[in-house]
Amino acid sequence: MKKEGRKIDKARMVSMLLISLLVIVTGTLWSVKAFMSGNVTGGVLGGLIALIILGFAMLVYIRGNRDMVKGFPLRDERSQKVMEKASSMAFYVSLYVFLGIGFLSEDMIPFRDVSQATSVGVGCMALLFAGFWAYYNKKEI
Amino acid sequence: MKTRIKEFRARHNLTQDDLAKKVGVRRETIVFLEKGKYNPSLQLAHDVAKVLKTSIEELFIFKK
Repeated sequence: MKKEGRKIDKARMVSMLLISLLVIVTGTLWSVKAFMSGNVTGGVLGGLIALIILGFAMLVYIRGNRDMVKGFPLRDERSQKVMEKASSMAFYVSLYVFLGIGFLSEDMIPFRDVSQATSVGVGCMALLFAGFWAYYNKKEI
Repeated sequence: MKTRIKEFRARHNLTQDDLAKKVGVRRETIVFLEKGKYNPSLQLAHDVAKVLKTSIEELFIFKK
């Protein structure tokens, strides 16, 4: 049972790393493309999101790896609860963020196209999740 | 919520790491439980009480 749990934990770690890597590569590509087309704001934003996700992924990986070596599970009921709370809050707040992006894109922020505005929204969602995770991880739940 | 986990853990000469491993949770969960900053599920409360050879009522003090 314990061996099975460790196998699942390892698979989780690898999948988390792969997803983080994909996000970082996409963010970097987006940033480079934006810089090359002269969109400095988009470039900086893409780079910033990639950097923050890189930091968050590294933190999760180092913590997870350390705990796995010590024989602790990667997830338990508290960490699961923190993840659930953080993701639901990130979802609710991001609804307003998307509403705000829609409102601002009318004439205040000149987004290149819908996909760029959506990417900014998704990036904000990821940042919100990281922020709420850090908050709930320290708070009484 | 107050808990007597620290007291019972000391009685059994268990560290937070030992208790976490025996219960099958992360160390932080034990830390938060001891501080009374986490309301555990009935299953987790039962598991902790079982490892510490006591009852849930002895271990967790609920106050309104």
